[in-house]
Amino acid sequence: MPTTLRIALLAGLLALLSNLAVIGFIYLRTHDDAVATVHRQVIEQGKVLADVYRSGGDEALDDAIADTMTYADPQTVIALLNPDRSEIKGNLESLRPPLAAGPEGYHTALVRLRGQTTPREAALVVNRLPTGQWLISGRIAGEGFAIRDTLERSLFIAVLVAGLLGLLCGIVTAHYVGTRISSIARVANRISPRDLSQRIPVSRSGDAFDLLATQINAMLDRISGLMEELRMLTDSLAHDLRSPVSRLRSAAHAAAEASDPAEQEELLGSVIRQADALMRILTAVLEISRSESLTGRKQFNWFDVGELAAELAEMYDPLADERGANLEYDRPARPVPLFGHRQLLAQAVSNLVENAIRYGSTGGEIRVHVEPGDRQIRVEVGDRGPGIPANRRDEARRRFGRLDSSRSDEGAGLGLALAEAIAHLHDGKLKLADNGPGLLTILELPVHAARAV
Amino acid sequence: MGRKILLVEDDRETATYLAKGLGQEGHSVEQANNGQDGLFRATDGSFDLIILDRMLPGIDGVSVLKALRAAHIDTPVLILSALASVGDRIEGLQSGSDDYLTKPFSFAELLARVNALLRRRESRVDPTEHRLTVGDLEIDPLSRTVKRGGKKLDLKPREYLLLEYFARNEGRVVTRTMLLEQVWDYHFDPGTNVIDVHVSRLRRKLDEGYDKPLLHTVRGAGYMLAA
Repeated sequence: MPTTLRIALLAGLLALLSNLAVIGFIYLRTHDDAVATVHRQVIEQGKVLADVYRSGGDEALDDAIADTMTYADPQTVIALLNPDRSEIKGNLESLRPPLAAGPEGYHTALVRLRGQTTPREAALVVNRLPTGQWLISGRIAGEGFAIRDTLERSLFIAVLVAGLLGLLCGIVTAHYVGTRISSIARVANRISPRDLSQRIPVSRSGDAFDLLATQINAMLDRISGLMEELRMLTDSLAHDLRSPVSRLRSAAHAAAEASDPAEQEELLGSVIRQADALMRILTAVLEISRSESLTGRKQFNWFDVGELAAELAEMYDPLADERGANLEYDRPARPVPLFGHRQLLAQAVSNLVENAIRYGSTGGEIRVHVEPGDRQIRVEVGDRGPGIPANRRDEARRRFGRLDSSRSDEGAGLGLALAEAIAHLHDGKLKLADNGPGLLTILELPVHAARAV
Repeated sequence: MGRKILLVEDDRETATYLAKGLGQEGHSVEQANNGQDGLFRATDGSFDLIILDRMLPGIDGVSVLKALRAAHIDTPVLILSALASVGDRIEGLQSGSDDYLTKPFSFAELLARVNALLRRRESRVDPTEHRLTVGDLEIDPLSRTVKRGGKKLDLKPREYLLLEYFARNEGRVVTRTMLLEQVWDYHFDPGTNVIDVHVSRLRRKLDEGYDKPLLHTVRGAGYMLAA
């Protein structure tokens, strides 16, 4: 069954049910009112006749019956029957079903009055007199019951109309929903890996469909961003791997040609170094994608960022020293606890420090700083080197985004990209700023990271 | 002195290469090319070391390792893996292995680690009770003092740890990665020569002014402390 039809039927059914509830309530109240009025009158009349008999005996009752037949309205039923149900007095021609032998009390039955041709429905009270005679009194209930019948008929029509209207509403709703959804579906259908430019039109009503369309459009933006990044990454990976691979190839070639064993050994050593460098690039790329896929989260633990930074500052101090820079770190007085991946953060911070040493040593000073905070912890690494101009900082953090194109340098251009990936794993950010002069790299790590696990 | 080594590796080329190299070092190498076979052979507990590939057909390396440890077989295990990320290394170590080496590796690196693991098995006595001596170098792990030729050396804490690790692996090659992992407990690959700088600082304090150097550079592999 198509969804549109199902929605239409469901809406129709719901409209019908709610209408039935209302109509049912009206029916019960009014129906009971109409019938109750007749009931009350009949009981009353029966009581009066019984009282007359008790106080005046047979004679008084006979008079009362005669009076009733003479003066009362033609709707009145009155009869006195013998125990064998043959009529003594009254206007009752026939009674169906024969009630006289039945229990005393209130009944409804079909009766035919004298002088009339068709039986009609009546409400009756049957009393048994001490003599064994049956006293039947009541009213042709036409009026009350007619109201009831009319009511029932109109209510039936109302239900029918309500059902039809409900179905109509359902169809209209389903059609509207269907149109909105299929406009989304049509766009989704046109989207392919080759063409991510399609967007779903958003009306200005701000309803749930617009919300859905906006969300899908935002998702498409993200996907195309990722696709673009992936394409650039693949391009730059292929590009960046070309030169080490060709160097490796020529070194291997030269080694194969070399006749002098010492020279050959030297060249083979270079082959291994080139291969190692390639391997490092591939490991770093792998590391970035693994960090981004959140696989590391199960290895999260509490640790002191201040202590980690101290350890790394101590580790890199001799290297900075050797490159002519002084590495400074003021450890915060108190522990700076963070729930995270200690090894990966160590790698991120060490990448920042290595970057500072590599490109900023000329400035003579490298500063590592941990800024504790209630909401986020900042790990800053600042150098006094040439820095990166503001308009090239995004480029710098991109994978392989090494700003100078000299390929002989030891870095693979993945350090900042990896640090950023690790920051993302911790719901944090990597920021590049001006250190006036020099480059300031900042890892912002939210303290709430623990909750995200 | 040859040792019994079980090599569980499904890649025939790697296995042959490793078995040959380890054989030349005087070890006897038994091979298994899948997890089941490896686990079966390892359970007799007669090996001095198990080299276990992480990705194996059938039962994978980590499961083999867990099964072994569950069976109380505490043969040292060196895991080989193509999974090189920091997270993977930590996971490998946490699964109960004694060391973790990522592919591709140099044979020198593997050999250095194999020898370190075999040596650890050899001397199971409490390491802190012993004074370590290498030639005229004396190390007291309890007071963390170091003397050479009777003269006290003034070492920074990390330099001391570095030297102690060298001394515990006296006469064996120690690679840069081993130093980073064992002395600093970091499992990433630094892009700089940061480890070399530390070693050369230690060397200056240790060997400068003495006729016979103790800390040697082993080309293409790492360093070695030997008298």
